[in-house]
Amino acid sequence: MAEHVTLTINEKEVSVPARTLLVDAARMAGVEIPVFCSHPKLDPVGCCRMCLVEVDGPRGTAMMASCTMPVGDGMVVRTDTEQVRTVQEANLGFILLNHPLDCPICDKGGECPLQDQTMRFGQGISQLIEPKRLAKKHYDISDTIVLDQERCVLCWRCIRYLEEWEDKPQLGLFERGNDTIVDIQEGRPVDAKTSGNIIDLCPVGALTNRVARFAYRPWEIERTPSICMHCSVGCNVRLDSRTHQLRRIVGRENMQVNDQWICDKGRFAHGWVNDEKRLTAPLLRKNGRLTQVQWSEALAYIAGKAAGIKEKYGADAIGAIGSGKISNEGNYALQRFMRGVIGTNNIDHRDGGDVAALPTGLPALAELMKPQYGPDPQVDTVLLFGVDPSEELPVLDLHLKRAILRGGVKLIIAHARKIELTRYEGPYLAYKPGEEIPLIDSLTQAVQGSCETGGDAAARAAGGLLSESEKALIIYGPMAARGESGPGVRLELERLAQAAGEGTRVAYVGLDGNAQGCRDMGVLPDRLPGQFPLDDAEAKARLEGLWGCTLSGSPGYTYKQMLDSQEMRALFVNGANPAAESPDWAASLDDLDLLVVTDLLPTETAEKADVVLPAQGWAESDGTYTNLERRVQRAPKAVADPKSRAAPDWMIFIHLARQMGAAWPFTDVRSVTEEITWAVPAYAGLNWEALGDQGRQWAAEAAPSAAESTGRGTAGVHAGASEEADYPLSLVTGTVLYDGGTLFGLTEQMHGMAHGATVTLNPADAATFGVEAGSPVTVQSDQGQLEVTAAVDAQVQQGTAWIPESLPGAPVGALLNGSYTQRVKVERR
Amino acid sequence: MEFGDFLKGASEIGKAMGVTLKHLRQKPVTVEFPHEDIPIYPRFRGRHELRRYANGLERCIGCCLCEAACPTEAIYVEAAENDPDAPLSPGERHAKVYELNLLRCVFCGDCEEACPTEAIVLGHDFAMANYERKDFVLTKEQLLNPGMPRVIIRPE
Repeated sequence: MAEHVTLTINEKEVSVPARTLLVDAARMAGVEIPVFCSHPKLDPVGCCRMCLVEVDGPRGTAMMASCTMPVGDGMVVRTDTEQVRTVQEANLGFILLNHPLDCPICDKGGECPLQDQTMRFGQGISQLIEPKRLAKKHYDISDTIVLDQERCVLCWRCIRYLEEWEDKPQLGLFERGNDTIVDIQEGRPVDAKTSGNIIDLCPVGALTNRVARFAYRPWEIERTPSICMHCSVGCNVRLDSRTHQLRRIVGRENMQVNDQWICDKGRFAHGWVNDEKRLTAPLLRKNGRLTQVQWSEALAYIAGKAAGIKEKYGADAIGAIGSGKISNEGNYALQRFMRGVIGTNNIDHRDGGDVAALPTGLPALAELMKPQYGPDPQVDTVLLFGVDPSEELPVLDLHLKRAILRGGVKLIIAHARKIELTRYEGPYLAYKPGEEIPLIDSLTQAVQGSCETGGDAAARAAGGLLSESEKALIIYGPMAARGESGPGVRLELERLAQAAGEGTRVAYVGLDGNAQGCRDMGVLPDRLPGQFPLDDAEAKARLEGLWGCTLSGSPGYTYKQMLDSQEMRALFVNGANPAAESPDWAASLDDLDLLVVTDLLPTETAEKADVVLPAQGWAESDGTYTNLERRVQRAPKAVADPKSRAAPDWMIFIHLARQMGAAWPFTDVRSVTEEITWAVPAYAGLNWEALGDQGRQWAAEAAPSAAESTGRGTAGVHAGASEEADYPLSLVTGTVLYDGGTLFGLTEQMHGMAHGATVTLNPADAATFGVEAGSPVTVQSDQGQLEVTAAVDAQVQQGTAWIPESLPGAPVGALLNGSYTQRVKVERR
Repeated sequence: MEFGDFLKGASEIGKAMGVTLKHLRQKPVTVEFPHEDIPIYPRFRGRHELRRYANGLERCIGCCLCEAACPTEAIYVEAAENDPDAPLSPGERHAKVYELNLLRCVFCGDCEEACPTEAIVLGHDFAMANYERKDFVLTKEQLLNPGMPRVIIRPE
């Protein structure tokens, strides 16, 4: 690969790697060749003819398409001759024959390659007197993308993206000759999870953003490089804002994370940022009603009440819930407030102490990526255990597909549902929630070669693949490692990795945008910042010196325990909504003496609070976030609502600490980031300058090992051991991309895409219970019931019922009530 | 002082008095505004107007080019999609908000130049005094319904 060839472009000698395309070689040499169909991330097709250049060959000079032609040694290329210019002018004239002059009303106007190249390489006049071709205009190909067939220049970029990256050929060219149009296949809308990328790729205004339609002009927006917060991949994005409002989000290139792709949720679901429902002032409960107050009054009330509770019941009667959606700074300040000022380890987040995670996350996303002409992936086999990248981490899904299709990566899937990625060749191992450990056991046996004794064909095949592989990667998620069996699953997976041999690694991927950072900041009941155990003397001494206090050594309650426990008197809830998860938790929140909720929107939990503090979201405040591969990335402040009195999370806790008598040395968010670099050894040196706009991954060696120590006790875990006869189905739950969560639901245009309030059954089960698709049903467990619509899909295995989390009006928590496995029955209403 | 200088001065004074005396015989140029109309040239650049097509549709398509051309950032446009059943302008796009700040405007006419549909034009109204600062921000409604200015267009 390192082999170079030398060629001459415009009388200048350049040396580029062999197999480079001429158009890329010219770019490296600083020579611009105009293109429409060619794109560095897509396979060459050579259909627009814009890139013709003069190449000297054995039979004289010829015009060649530089986007399909690899460089050759000693090649002589000219891009600035009279003939090249004539051809460029003629080609542009040809492309513009049918392109309507819609520029004033076209969203691409101002950042349109066709506009720019017409100005640079065009003739300057039009020779066309005939009428232009007419085709469908402003025609929705999905809820989020508008197609204008008249503007299309037939460059194939959208078609190629959906084929080469998404592996879902949902767009195609129809008709012939002058009538050729791009269109969806047989009226089926484009539903690929990352379909929005075709808007960025389109070199004209044929594909435009329906959510941000007419909301911006490229020359009047402010562009802030940021990162996406919807999942833990941490895709790099750019936030375009105007008049204090977020107008649109586009992808930003980071070859270590997302290439340049982002998913549709990240691109379009930003309606909540400027929603009217946002909390804008602190609320204090007076005479039973939440009333707007000044910050000083709200903070003084909390400080007084918390000090009273601490004195009366002890520090361990106070707890806090952080969130994987909040920045490192916010979580760090909350955690320091609890440990340093209140003096308790009662701090956790959802999917925190209850999940047996590994501290280091994915080794590196880039290991899965195969750039166009770059190296092959550094992984040869991937086992997905209880993770559904298509719904949970769409850009990881994209990388995986590319790795399978182009890098020859073998895929093994173990999931309670037959997830979308099972369409690729490879063993699929089905299990029911709670049966994870026996499954991994049988896999380990298969790897060790004792498969004849047990395991089905799929397990044998998977075992064979794992034992053959040299660089396998096992990825598991919170769904597989929750609750009491979590540490067991982790242990078994590590054993499996050992059995599979040298080079096999286990990786845990969290789901929330800052799931990894939340752990790194120590928002865990049994871990200090840096994920050090509470009894790690060195870490403890470092933090005590830094914070000037003594730290409690006894582990705190986990998320679940805090909500189940009757001993809690006060709770700080930051960016979490436990009241919507379980009716029992909602009731226990009512019994608290003090409930402080810091959130963006009025949630069910906020309605129960004594004090509600308005927080700023990721777009409004500066912060750093850590993605699933430990990459710390910075999201600068992009918008600010001048009418809102909301404050960033870190600032709220600084002021609260001051009210309670602690003097923290913070002046701004930068100083919080700075302190994190001292408190967490892995983050040493990761200040804003070092992070830049591409972030930095912290070294895996800096993490402590994932030794077992999980909270105290397991209070309130429902056994879920009801009779199989009464409740014949095993409940499967999990995350879907388009759920009913508040951050998704507030983007009106996407309502049609949301997963409805449904329970999905296997066709065989549906027939047994006399349920058809669309019939109203009641799902019942021994904890509660839920009224939903039935759906039938063979992807759901027999004997299970699939209800995703956070569906609008169908909280699956009503059935689970805090447990992780549950048996249910489905009856027609 | 030379005699020549004296003669030169006297002739200058005589010339000046000539002008004065000539105007004694003419009617005064003072116009009794606002009781009388003021004569202006056709290309006079006064208060802005947004125009409509003959069928009543607004010419403005909310393209924001006037906003981009404006050297003093006096114009603010917010575009929106037309309801196909009740469009405000031809095509897909119209201006939801069109605001023009007369305190910022320098009446250069660049907005007129930039407009692809000849929607925004500088009219002939120059009587723009107001009592409140906020009244100097013209809304789309005000721009679409300009009053009749008290002017006489005189030939160029």
